[in-house]
Amino acid sequence: MTSERIKAALSDITAENDPAPKHLKLASLVSAIFRERGIELVVVGGSAIEFYTEGAYVSGDLDMCVASSSTALTVRLRQEIMAQVGASGGPRSWRVAGAFLDVLATFENAARTPIRVLRGPFGDVRVTPVEELIAERVLVSKYPQDYPPARECAKKLLAAALQGEVETDWHEVRRLARSSAYDNWNDVKELINEQAKAFKVRSPYDSDE
Amino acid sequence: MNKPKLSRSGVPTIPMNEPMSWQDWLRGRRTRRETGNRVAPEIIRRPTSSSDKRLRTLFNGERGLPFKKTEEL
Repeated sequence: MTSERIKAALSDITAENDPAPKHLKLASLVSAIFRERGIELVVVGGSAIEFYTEGAYVSGDLDMCVASSSTALTVRLRQEIMAQVGASGGPRSWRVAGAFLDVLATFENAARTPIRVLRGPFGDVRVTPVEELIAERVLVSKYPQDYPPARECAKKLLAAALQGEVETDWHEVRRLARSSAYDNWNDVKELINEQAKAFKVRSPYDSDE
Repeated sequence: MNKPKLSRSGVPTIPMNEPMSWQDWLRGRRTRRETGNRVAPEIIRRPTSSSDKRLRTLFNGERGLPFKKTEEL
């Protein structure tokens, strides 16, 4: 990506004051410049949930993890890459274009379904599979103690999934929730059934339990 | 890119096996917000986190930019 194109992208992102598109544009730019160095990033956490739900959940930081890398992502390399977009700070968290970007560790992903791809204005953005987010948010809503904000997120994710706004593999949701990684199938099933009832749609598990 | 599959609510579905275009993602924003509003409060941003100090410094005492109202999406 040329420095002129990066400059134009940064100008666009800085001027964007709507949280979800701002994060998606920033993820698009950052993904593109890391990709040029052989590193694939993936959006995790609140921003991923926001992209799926428009849930008014996201704060001012965008969290990304390393999905794959053909080279060692050293501190030096991270700082060099982030210098291309005029970022300040580091070595894992930077201020850039009126937001904070955290590039965390290797992506923890137990889902067998694909990482989803949104075609951002500056390059493709990879997003945590919705199945993983559902199992994760339900878990966080209960453990280590009840946490209502995570439950609200889980409900919005399930609403989007049940309405078909996000293509969701319900078998994979069940497999993940039953796996040792989450072990929260009863909680997940209960919330899915509750949301299905609220939307007057058939629960994906109605016939096979 | 194929013609997008539509959700029950009539907006392009975020697909599993192919990229979603920027335009299709934008088209679904308002409806996705409305869907979530049926099951939880409109704004569910966490009140606190470990990033509070830096966020509140950058965003005039808030934890991020203000959200657009649903009707403005």
